[in-house]
Amino acid sequence: MEQLQIQGLACSVEGKEILHGVDLTIDKGDVIALLGPNGHGKSTLLHCLMGSPHYQVTRGKVLWDKEDFLSLPTDKRSKKGLFMAFQNPPDVPGVVTMDFFRGMINAHREKPISLLDFYKTTTKAYEQVGLDSEMASRHLNEGYSGGEKKRNEILQMLLLKPELALLDEIDSGLDVDALSLVARAIDKAREEGTTFLVISHYDRLLEMIHPNRTAVMVNGKIALEGDEKLSSRIAKEGYSFLEREYHIDLSKAEEEKISLGVCGAKVSR
Amino acid sequence: MMGKTLQDVLEVSSPEGLEQECSFYFEGKPLPEHFSYALKEKEELVLTLVDFSPSSYHSDLSFTLKANSRIVLKMFSLCPRSVEKKITVSIHHLGKDSFSRVSFFGIDFSEKKFSFVGNSYIPKGMSGSDTRQEGRITNLAKDCKSEVSPALYIEENDVKASHGAALGTYDQDQVYYLMSHGLDETESKRLITSGLLRPILERLKSKEIAQRAQKALEVFSL
Repeated sequence: MEQLQIQGLACSVEGKEILHGVDLTIDKGDVIALLGPNGHGKSTLLHCLMGSPHYQVTRGKVLWDKEDFLSLPTDKRSKKGLFMAFQNPPDVPGVVTMDFFRGMINAHREKPISLLDFYKTTTKAYEQVGLDSEMASRHLNEGYSGGEKKRNEILQMLLLKPELALLDEIDSGLDVDALSLVARAIDKAREEGTTFLVISHYDRLLEMIHPNRTAVMVNGKIALEGDEKLSSRIAKEGYSFLEREYHIDLSKAEEEKISLGVCGAKVSR
Repeated sequence: MMGKTLQDVLEVSSPEGLEQECSFYFEGKPLPEHFSYALKEKEELVLTLVDFSPSSYHSDLSFTLKANSRIVLKMFSLCPRSVEKKITVSIHHLGKDSFSRVSFFGIDFSEKKFSFVGNSYIPKGMSGSDTRQEGRITNLAKDCKSEVSPALYIEENDVKASHGAALGTYDQDQVYYLMSHGLDETESKRLITSGLLRPILERLKSKEIAQRAQKALEVFSL
Protein backbone atom coordinates (compact mmCIF):
# COMPACT_ATOMS: atom_id res chain seq x y z
CA MET A 1 0.00 0.00 0.00
CA GLU A 2 1.34 3.37 -0.96
CA GLN A 3 -1.55 5.43 0.34
CA LEU A 4 -4.91 5.09 2.09
CA GLN A 5 -7.21 8.05 1.61
CA ILE A 6 -10.21 8.54 3.86
CA GLN A 7 -12.47 11.18 2.35
CA GLY A 8 -15.52 12.60 4.12
CA LEU A 9 -16.27 9.31 5.84
CA ALA A 10 -19.51 9.26 7.82
CA CYS A 11 -20.95 6.25 9.57
CA SER A 12 -23.81 5.30 11.83
CA VAL A 13 -24.67 2.74 14.42
CA GLU A 14 -28.35 1.87 14.73
CA GLY A 15 -29.27 5.08 12.97
CA LYS A 16 -27.06 7.32 15.10
CA GLU A 17 -24.23 9.02 13.23
CA ILE A 18 -20.88 8.60 14.96
CA LEU A 19 -18.45 9.78 12.29
CA HIS A 20 -19.44 13.03 10.62
CA GLY A 21 -16.99 13.27 7.74
CA VAL A 22 -13.50 12.02 8.52
CA ASP A 23 -10.66 13.13 6.24
CA LEU A 24 -7.28 11.51 6.72
CA THR A 25 -4.55 10.37 4.38
CA ILE A 26 -2.18 7.65 5.50
CA ASP A 27 1.05 7.26 3.54
CA LYS A 28 3.28 4.21 3.43
CA GLY A 29 5.69 4.23 6.36
CA ASP A 30 3.55 6.46 8.55
CA VAL A 31 3.04 5.73 12.21
CA ILE A 32 0.07 7.87 13.11
CA ALA A 33 -1.09 8.34 16.68
CA LEU A 34 -4.87 8.67 16.59
CA LEU A 35 -5.80 10.56 19.72
CA GLY A 36 -8.91 12.16 21.11
CA PRO A 37 -11.18 12.18 24.14
CA ASN A 38 -13.17 9.04 24.94
CA GLY A 39 -16.26 8.40 22.87
CA HIS A 40 -15.43 10.70 19.95
CA GLY A 41 -15.18 8.00 17.27
CA LYS A 42 -11.60 6.70 17.17
CA SER A 43 -12.46 2.99 17.49
CA THR A 44 -15.45 3.50 15.21
CA LEU A 45 -13.13 4.74 12.48
CA LEU A 46 -10.93 1.65 12.80
CA HIS A 47 -13.93 -0.69 12.69
CA CYS A 48 -15.33 1.12 9.66
CA LEU A 49 -12.04 0.63 7.85
CA MET A 50 -12.01 -3.07 8.79
CA GLY A 51 -15.66 -3.53 7.76
CA SER A 52 -17.48 -4.26 11.01
CA PRO A 53 -21.12 -5.29 10.43
CA HIS A 54 -22.15 -3.07 13.36
CA TYR A 55 -21.39 0.15 11.48
CA GLN A 56 -23.07 1.49 8.37
CA VAL A 57 -21.04 3.82 6.19
CA THR A 58 -23.45 6.54 5.07
CA ARG A 59 -21.16 8.91 3.17
CA GLY A 60 -17.62 9.26 1.97
CA LYS A 61 -14.91 7.15 0.42
CA VAL A 62 -11.91 5.12 1.40
CA LEU A 63 -9.35 4.58 -1.33
CA TRP A 64 -6.56 2.00 -1.06
CA ASP A 65 -3.99 3.06 -3.63
CA LYS A 66 -6.76 5.04 -5.35
CA GLU A 67 -9.04 1.99 -5.56
CA ASP A 68 -12.36 1.78 -3.76
CA PHE A 69 -11.86 -0.09 -0.51
CA LEU A 70 -15.28 0.07 1.13
CA SER A 71 -16.93 -2.24 -1.39
CA LEU A 72 -14.66 -5.09 -0.29
CA PRO A 73 -15.89 -7.58 2.32
CA THR A 74 -13.89 -7.76 5.54
CA ASP A 75 -11.84 -10.80 4.53
CA LYS A 76 -10.81 -9.19 1.25
CA ARG A 77 -9.69 -6.08 3.13
CA SER A 78 -7.49 -8.32 5.24
CA LYS A 79 -6.11 -10.01 2.13
CA LYS A 80 -5.29 -6.59 0.68
CA GLY A 81 -3.02 -6.06 3.68
CA LEU A 82 -5.15 -4.43 6.37
CA PHE A 83 -4.93 -5.75 9.92
CA MET A 84 -6.69 -4.69 13.06
CA ALA A 85 -5.62 -5.49 16.62
CA PHE A 86 -8.88 -5.48 18.55
CA GLN A 87 -9.35 -3.63 21.79
CA ASN A 88 -11.60 -6.44 23.05
CA PRO A 89 -11.10 -9.51 20.89
CA PRO A 90 -14.01 -11.92 21.34
CA ASP A 91 -13.64 -15.39 22.83
CA VAL A 92 -14.25 -18.07 20.21
CA PRO A 93 -14.91 -21.23 22.26
CA GLY A 94 -14.01 -24.51 20.65
CA VAL A 95 -11.83 -22.94 17.96
CA VAL A 96 -8.26 -24.00 18.66
CA THR A 97 -5.87 -21.06 18.27
CA MET A 98 -3.47 -23.11 16.17
CA ASP A 99 -6.22 -24.05 13.68
CA PHE A 100 -7.24 -20.42 13.43
CA PHE A 101 -3.65 -19.28 12.86
CA ARG A 102 -3.15 -21.81 10.07
CA GLY A 103 -6.42 -20.81 8.43
CA MET A 104 -5.50 -17.15 8.76
CA ILE A 105 -1.99 -17.59 7.31
CA ASN A 106 -3.22 -19.82 4.48
CA ALA A 107 -5.91 -17.29 3.60
CA HIS A 108 -3.09 -14.89 2.73
CA ARG A 109 -1.08 -17.36 0.65
CA GLU A 110 -1.56 -19.20 -2.58
CA LYS A 111 -0.11 -22.45 -1.28
CA PRO A 112 -0.79 -23.69 2.27
CA ILE A 113 2.07 -23.22 4.71
CA SER A 114 4.00 -26.39 5.51
CA LEU A 115 3.73 -27.79 9.01
CA LEU A 116 7.41 -27.17 9.66
CA ASP A 117 7.28 -23.55 8.53
CA PHE A 118 4.10 -23.02 10.50
CA TYR A 119 5.73 -24.42 13.63
CA LYS A 120 8.88 -22.30 13.19
CA THR A 121 6.97 -19.11 12.40
CA THR A 122 4.50 -19.37 15.26
CA THR A 123 7.14 -20.42 17.79
CA LYS A 124 9.23 -17.37 16.90
CA ALA A 125 6.21 -15.05 17.07
CA TYR A 126 5.23 -16.41 20.48
CA GLU A 127 8.77 -15.70 21.68
CA GLN A 128 8.63 -12.16 20.35
CA VAL A 129 5.53 -11.31 22.35
CA GLY A 130 6.63 -13.24 25.44
CA LEU A 131 3.87 -15.83 25.40
CA ASP A 132 4.19 -19.58 25.88
CA SER A 133 3.67 -21.30 22.51
CA GLU A 134 1.62 -23.94 24.36
CA MET A 135 -1.15 -21.36 24.19
CA ALA A 136 -1.61 -22.31 20.54
CA SER A 137 -3.45 -25.42 21.68
CA ARG A 138 -5.98 -23.42 23.70
CA HIS A 139 -9.29 -22.14 22.40
CA LEU A 140 -9.04 -18.74 20.77
CA ASN A 141 -8.97 -15.95 23.37
CA GLU A 142 -10.92 -18.10 25.82
CA GLY A 143 -9.65 -17.74 29.36
CA TYR A 144 -6.86 -15.39 28.27
CA SER A 145 -6.02 -12.58 30.65
CA GLY A 146 -6.37 -9.02 29.35
CA GLY A 147 -2.62 -8.80 28.76
CA GLU A 148 -2.48 -12.17 27.01
CA LYS A 149 -5.23 -11.08 24.65
CA LYS A 150 -3.32 -7.94 23.70
CA ARG A 151 -0.09 -9.83 23.12
CA ASN A 152 -1.99 -12.42 21.12
CA GLU A 153 -3.29 -9.66 18.86
CA ILE A 154 0.24 -8.40 18.23
CA LEU A 155 1.37 -11.97 17.63
CA GLN A 156 -1.22 -12.26 14.86
CA MET A 157 0.09 -9.05 13.35
CA LEU A 158 3.58 -10.55 13.29
CA LEU A 159 2.27 -13.68 11.58
CA LEU A 160 0.36 -11.77 8.91
CA LYS A 161 2.91 -9.00 8.24
CA PRO A 162 0.21 -6.54 7.14
CA GLU A 163 0.79 -3.45 5.04
CA LEU A 164 -1.39 -1.31 7.30
CA ALA A 165 -2.02 -2.18 10.95
CA LEU A 166 -4.76 -0.57 13.01
CA LEU A 167 -4.01 -0.90 16.71
CA ASP A 168 -6.94 -0.16 18.99
CA GLU A 169 -5.66 0.56 22.52
CA ILE A 170 -3.23 -2.32 22.28
CA ASP A 171 -1.37 -1.02 25.33
CA SER A 172 -4.22 -0.95 27.84
CA GLY A 173 -3.85 -3.59 30.52
CA LEU A 174 -0.19 -4.28 29.75
CA ASP A 175 2.51 -4.12 32.39
CA VAL A 176 5.77 -2.26 31.67
CA ASP A 177 7.64 -5.35 30.46
CA ALA A 178 4.81 -6.45 28.20
CA LEU A 179 4.56 -2.93 26.84
CA SER A 180 8.27 -3.00 25.90
CA LEU A 181 7.79 -6.33 24.10
CA VAL A 182 4.82 -4.98 22.18
CA ALA A 183 6.70 -1.79 21.28
CA ARG A 184 9.64 -3.85 20.00
CA ALA A 185 7.26 -5.98 17.93
CA ILE A 186 5.73 -2.84 16.46
CA ASP A 187 9.20 -1.46 15.66
CA LYS A 188 10.15 -4.70 13.94
CA ALA A 189 6.97 -4.71 11.84
CA ARG A 190 7.63 -1.07 10.97
CA GLU A 191 11.17 -1.93 9.81
CA GLU A 192 9.65 -4.61 7.60
CA GLY A 193 7.34 -2.07 5.98
CA THR A 194 4.13 -2.03 8.00
CA THR A 195 2.33 1.30 8.28
CA PHE A 196 0.46 2.04 11.52
CA LEU A 197 -2.60 3.87 12.79
CA VAL A 198 -2.47 3.61 16.57
CA ILE A 199 -5.07 4.54 19.17
CA SER A 200 -3.64 4.95 22.65
CA HIS A 201 -4.55 6.83 25.80
CA TYR A 202 -1.10 6.41 27.31
CA ASP A 203 2.01 8.28 26.29
CA ARG A 204 4.34 5.46 27.32
CA LEU A 205 3.68 3.40 24.19
CA LEU A 206 3.84 6.45 21.96
CA GLU A 207 7.19 7.42 23.54
CA MET A 208 8.47 3.99 22.60
CA ILE A 209 7.22 3.81 19.01
CA HIS A 210 7.72 7.50 18.08
CA PRO A 211 4.79 8.26 15.76
CA ASN A 212 5.76 10.62 12.94
CA ARG A 213 2.24 12.06 12.82
CA THR A 214 -0.62 12.76 15.21
CA ALA A 215 -4.31 13.06 14.34
CA VAL A 216 -6.82 14.22 16.92
CA MET A 217 -10.41 13.10 16.57
CA VAL A 218 -13.12 15.23 18.13
CA ASN A 219 -16.85 14.69 17.63
CA GLY A 220 -16.42 12.28 14.76
CA LYS A 221 -13.99 14.37 12.71
CA ILE A 222 -10.24 14.81 12.52
CA ALA A 223 -10.03 18.17 14.25
CA LEU A 224 -6.28 18.65 14.20
CA GLU A 225 -3.19 17.05 12.71
CA GLY A 226 0.42 17.47 13.70
CA ASP A 227 3.70 15.70 14.24
CA GLU A 228 5.04 13.77 17.23
CA LYS A 229 5.22 16.96 19.29
CA LEU A 230 1.44 17.20 19.25
CA SER A 231 0.99 13.77 20.85
CA SER A 232 3.70 14.62 23.42
CA ARG A 233 1.95 17.85 24.30
CA ILE A 234 -1.42 16.11 24.66
CA ALA A 235 0.25 13.54 26.93
CA LYS A 236 1.54 16.36 29.16
CA GLU A 237 -1.35 18.83 29.07
CA GLY A 238 -4.43 16.87 28.10
CA TYR A 239 -6.86 18.18 25.48
CA SER A 240 -7.94 21.48 27.02
CA PHE A 241 -5.36 23.54 25.06
CA LEU A 242 -7.19 22.56 21.86
CA GLU A 243 -10.11 24.71 22.99
CA ARG A 244 -7.91 27.63 24.07
CA GLU A 245 -5.55 27.73 21.14
CA TYR A 246 -7.43 26.12 18.27
CA HIS A 247 -11.04 26.89 19.27
CA ILE A 248 -11.96 23.22 18.98
CA ASP A 249 -15.14 22.49 20.92
CA LEU A 250 -14.44 19.39 22.99
CA SER A 251 -17.94 19.05 24.39
CA LYS A 252 -19.74 16.11 22.86
CA ALA A 253 -22.45 16.85 20.37
CA GLU A 254 -25.73 17.10 22.26
CA GLU A 255 -27.75 13.92 22.34
CA GLU A 256 -31.16 14.07 20.76
CA LYS A 257 -33.82 14.51 23.35
CA ILE A 258 -35.98 11.45 23.83
CA SER A 259 -39.63 11.61 24.76
CA LEU A 260 -40.44 9.03 27.38
CA GLY A 261 -44.11 9.34 26.52
CA VAL A 262 -47.03 9.75 28.86
CA CYS A 263 -47.55 7.11 31.49
CA GLY A 264 -50.45 8.72 33.32
CA ALA A 265 -53.01 11.46 32.77
CA LYS A 266 -55.26 13.33 35.12
CA VAL A 267 -58.86 13.16 34.10
CA SER A 268 -61.02 16.12 35.04
CA ARG A 269 -64.63 15.44 35.94
CA MET B 1 -20.76 -49.87 25.17
CA MET B 2 -19.37 -47.87 22.26
CA GLY B 3 -21.40 -48.20 19.11
CA LYS B 4 -24.55 -49.56 20.79
CA THR B 5 -27.78 -47.65 20.74
CA LEU B 6 -29.73 -46.90 23.85
CA GLN B 7 -32.20 -49.61 22.84
CA ASP B 8 -29.34 -52.08 22.92
CA VAL B 9 -28.40 -50.86 26.33
CA LEU B 10 -31.97 -51.13 27.48
CA GLU B 11 -32.14 -54.72 26.32
CA VAL B 12 -28.89 -55.71 28.01
CA SER B 13 -29.54 -53.57 31.03
CA SER B 14 -28.20 -55.81 33.76
CA PRO B 15 -27.94 -55.43 37.53
CA GLU B 16 -24.54 -53.84 36.88
CA GLY B 17 -26.22 -51.14 34.80
CA LEU B 18 -24.41 -48.82 32.41
CA GLU B 19 -20.70 -48.31 32.49
CA GLN B 20 -19.66 -45.40 34.65
CA GLU B 21 -18.75 -43.31 31.65
CA CYS B 22 -20.16 -43.99 28.21
CA SER B 23 -20.93 -42.30 24.91
CA PHE B 24 -23.37 -43.07 22.13
CA TYR B 25 -23.40 -41.85 18.60
CA PHE B 26 -26.59 -41.87 16.55
CA GLU B 27 -25.92 -41.59 12.86
CA GLY B 28 -28.73 -43.46 11.13
CA LYS B 29 -31.18 -44.46 13.84
CA PRO B 30 -33.05 -41.88 15.83
CA LEU B 31 -32.95 -41.75 19.62
CA PRO B 32 -35.38 -44.20 21.22
CA GLU B 33 -38.97 -43.07 21.70
CA HIS B 34 -38.79 -43.98 25.38
CA PHE B 35 -35.85 -44.84 27.53
CA SER B 36 -35.60 -44.98 31.28
CA TYR B 37 -32.78 -45.86 33.55
CA ALA B 38 -32.62 -46.03 37.33
CA LEU B 39 -29.36 -45.31 39.07
CA LYS B 40 -28.75 -47.23 42.27
CA GLU B 41 -27.55 -45.64 45.50
CA LYS B 42 -24.10 -44.08 45.08
CA GLU B 43 -24.02 -45.02 41.38
CA GLU B 44 -22.32 -42.49 39.13
CA LEU B 45 -22.96 -42.12 35.43
CA VAL B 46 -21.41 -39.81 32.88
CA LEU B 47 -23.33 -40.17 29.64
CA THR B 48 -22.64 -38.43 26.32
CA LEU B 49 -25.13 -38.68 23.47
CA VAL B 50 -24.28 -37.39 20.02
CA ASP B 51 -27.19 -37.39 17.59
CA PHE B 52 -26.82 -36.88 13.85
CA SER B 53 -29.93 -38.83 12.97
CA PRO B 54 -31.42 -37.55 9.69
CA SER B 55 -35.01 -38.52 10.58
CA SER B 56 -37.74 -36.90 12.64
CA TYR B 57 -38.47 -38.28 16.10
CA HIS B 58 -39.75 -37.58 19.57
CA SER B 59 -37.68 -39.04 22.35
CA ASP B 60 -38.33 -39.21 26.10
CA LEU B 61 -35.31 -40.05 28.21
CA SER B 62 -35.88 -40.55 31.91
CA PHE B 63 -33.42 -41.13 34.72
CA THR B 64 -34.18 -41.89 38.34
CA LEU B 65 -31.65 -41.14 41.04
CA LYS B 66 -31.38 -42.87 44.40
CA ALA B 67 -29.50 -41.50 47.42
CA ASN B 68 -26.01 -40.15 46.66
CA SER B 69 -26.19 -41.13 43.01
CA ARG B 70 -24.91 -38.80 40.33
CA ILE B 71 -25.59 -38.33 36.65
CA VAL B 72 -23.89 -36.01 34.18
CA LEU B 73 -25.66 -36.09 30.83
CA LYS B 74 -24.26 -34.19 27.88
CA MET B 75 -26.18 -34.20 24.64
CA PHE B 76 -25.40 -32.88 21.24
CA SER B 77 -28.06 -33.01 18.57
CA LEU B 78 -28.15 -31.75 15.05
CA CYS B 79 -31.47 -31.14 13.32
CA PRO B 80 -31.11 -31.27 9.51
CA ARG B 81 -33.39 -29.46 7.09
CA SER B 82 -37.05 -30.67 6.93
CA VAL B 83 -36.63 -32.71 10.08
CA GLU B 84 -38.53 -32.27 13.34
CA LYS B 85 -37.06 -33.38 16.63
CA LYS B 86 -38.28 -33.17 20.18
CA ILE B 87 -36.10 -34.42 22.98
CA THR B 88 -37.30 -34.56 26.56
CA VAL B 89 -34.94 -35.40 29.38
CA SER B 90 -36.46 -35.98 32.81
CA ILE B 91 -34.42 -36.41 35.95
CA HIS B 92 -36.21 -37.72 39.04
CA HIS B 93 -34.32 -37.17 42.27
CA LEU B 94 -35.75 -39.96 44.41
CA GLY B 95 -32.92 -40.08 46.93
CA LYS B 96 -31.26 -37.60 49.24
CA ASP B 97 -28.01 -35.92 48.19
CA SER B 98 -28.47 -36.96 44.58
CA PHE B 99 -26.81 -34.94 41.86
CA SER B 100 -27.64 -34.24 38.24
CA ARG B 101 -26.28 -32.13 35.44
CA VAL B 102 -27.97 -32.05 32.06
CA SER B 103 -26.58 -29.98 29.25
CA PHE B 104 -28.08 -30.07 25.82
CA PHE B 105 -26.49 -28.45 22.83
CA GLY B 106 -28.26 -28.37 19.50
CA ILE B 107 -27.57 -27.01 16.03
CA ASP B 108 -30.65 -26.33 13.96
CA PHE B 109 -30.78 -26.27 10.16
CA SER B 110 -34.49 -27.10 9.95
CA GLU B 111 -37.53 -24.99 9.17
CA LYS B 112 -39.52 -27.44 11.32
CA LYS B 113 -39.57 -27.52 15.07
CA PHE B 114 -36.50 -28.56 17.02
CA SER B 115 -37.06 -28.59 20.75
CA PHE B 116 -35.41 -29.62 23.94
CA VAL B 117 -37.37 -29.97 27.15
CA GLY B 118 -35.42 -30.68 30.31
CA ASN B 119 -37.27 -31.46 33.55
CA SER B 120 -35.79 -31.94 36.97
CA TYR B 121 -38.07 -33.25 39.72
CA ILE B 122 -37.08 -33.07 43.40
CA PRO B 123 -39.94 -34.23 45.67
CA LYS B 124 -40.33 -33.27 49.33
CA GLY B 125 -37.80 -34.97 51.59
CA MET B 126 -35.00 -35.33 49.01
CA SER B 127 -32.78 -32.84 50.82
CA GLY B 128 -29.24 -32.12 49.68
CA SER B 129 -30.13 -32.79 46.05
CA ASP B 130 -28.45 -30.74 43.41
CA THR B 131 -29.65 -30.30 39.85
CA ARG B 132 -28.98 -28.18 36.81
CA GLN B 133 -30.69 -28.25 33.43
CA GLU B 134 -29.31 -26.21 30.60
CA GLY B 135 -30.05 -26.10 26.92
CA ARG B 136 -28.70 -24.16 24.01
CA ILE B 137 -29.65 -24.29 20.36
CA THR B 138 -27.77 -22.41 17.68
CA ASN B 139 -29.87 -21.63 14.63
CA LEU B 140 -27.96 -21.83 11.40
CA ALA B 141 -30.83 -21.33 8.97
CA LYS B 142 -33.02 -18.27 8.55
CA ASP B 143 -36.35 -19.97 9.20
CA CYS B 144 -35.50 -22.07 12.24
CA LYS B 145 -38.17 -22.77 14.86
CA SER B 146 -36.27 -23.98 17.86
CA GLU B 147 -37.30 -24.14 21.48
CA VAL B 148 -35.38 -24.75 24.67
CA SER B 149 -37.22 -25.28 27.91
CA PRO B 150 -35.28 -26.37 30.98
CA ALA B 151 -37.71 -26.67 33.90
CA LEU B 152 -37.38 -27.33 37.61
CA TYR B 153 -40.13 -28.92 39.74
CA ILE B 154 -38.93 -28.57 43.32
CA GLU B 155 -40.87 -29.45 46.47
CA GLU B 156 -37.96 -29.57 48.92
CA ASN B 157 -36.32 -26.45 50.40
CA ASP B 158 -32.84 -27.78 51.08
CA VAL B 159 -31.66 -28.20 47.49
CA LYS B 160 -29.54 -26.54 44.84
CA ALA B 161 -31.29 -26.08 41.54
CA SER B 162 -30.62 -23.96 38.51
CA HIS B 163 -31.40 -23.83 34.84
CA GLY B 164 -30.31 -21.93 31.74
CA ALA B 165 -31.53 -21.58 28.20
CA ALA B 166 -30.12 -19.92 25.12
CA LEU B 167 -31.23 -19.65 21.54
CA GLY B 168 -29.24 -17.81 18.97
CA THR B 169 -27.48 -17.69 15.69
CA TYR B 170 -23.85 -17.09 14.79
CA ASP B 171 -22.18 -14.55 16.99
CA GLN B 172 -21.62 -11.66 14.59
CA ASP B 173 -18.60 -10.48 16.53
CA GLN B 174 -16.91 -13.86 16.20
CA VAL B 175 -17.58 -14.05 12.46
CA TYR B 176 -16.29 -10.50 12.00
CA TYR B 177 -13.19 -11.23 14.06
CA LEU B 178 -12.29 -14.29 12.01
CA MET B 179 -13.04 -12.51 8.72
CA SER B 180 -10.87 -9.58 9.77
CA HIS B 181 -7.98 -12.04 9.69
CA GLY B 182 -8.66 -13.11 6.12
CA LEU B 183 -10.99 -16.08 6.51
CA ASP B 184 -14.01 -15.81 4.25
CA GLU B 185 -17.52 -15.95 5.69
CA THR B 186 -18.09 -19.64 4.92
CA GLU B 187 -14.78 -20.71 6.41
CA SER B 188 -15.34 -18.51 9.47
CA LYS B 189 -18.76 -20.05 10.10
CA ARG B 190 -17.43 -23.56 9.52
CA LEU B 191 -14.71 -22.98 12.10
CA ILE B 192 -17.16 -21.60 14.63
CA THR B 193 -19.62 -24.45 14.11
CA SER B 194 -16.88 -27.04 14.52
CA GLY B 195 -15.86 -25.23 17.66
CA LEU B 196 -19.34 -25.53 19.08
CA LEU B 197 -19.17 -29.29 18.73
CA ARG B 198 -15.62 -29.71 19.95
CA PRO B 199 -16.36 -29.98 23.70
CA ILE B 200 -18.72 -32.87 22.93
CA LEU B 201 -16.32 -34.58 20.53
CA GLU B 202 -13.57 -34.39 23.10
CA ARG B 203 -15.73 -36.55 25.35
CA LEU B 204 -16.10 -39.30 22.80
CA LYS B 205 -13.62 -42.07 23.49
CA SER B 206 -13.58 -43.35 19.92
CA LYS B 207 -11.54 -41.19 17.57
CA GLU B 208 -13.28 -42.81 14.62
CA ILE B 209 -16.70 -41.75 15.88
CA ALA B 210 -15.42 -38.27 16.69
CA GLN B 211 -14.08 -37.91 13.15
CA ARG B 212 -17.35 -39.14 11.65
CA ALA B 213 -19.29 -36.69 13.78
CA GLN B 214 -16.98 -33.86 12.78
CA LYS B 215 -17.35 -34.74 9.12
CA ALA B 216 -21.13 -35.00 9.41
CA LEU B 217 -21.26 -31.57 10.99
CA GLU B 218 -19.16 -30.06 8.23
CA VAL B 219 -21.40 -31.60 5.59
CA PHE B 220 -24.47 -30.13 7.27
CA SER B 221 -22.77 -26.77 7.84
CA LEU B 222 -21.84 -26.07 4.24
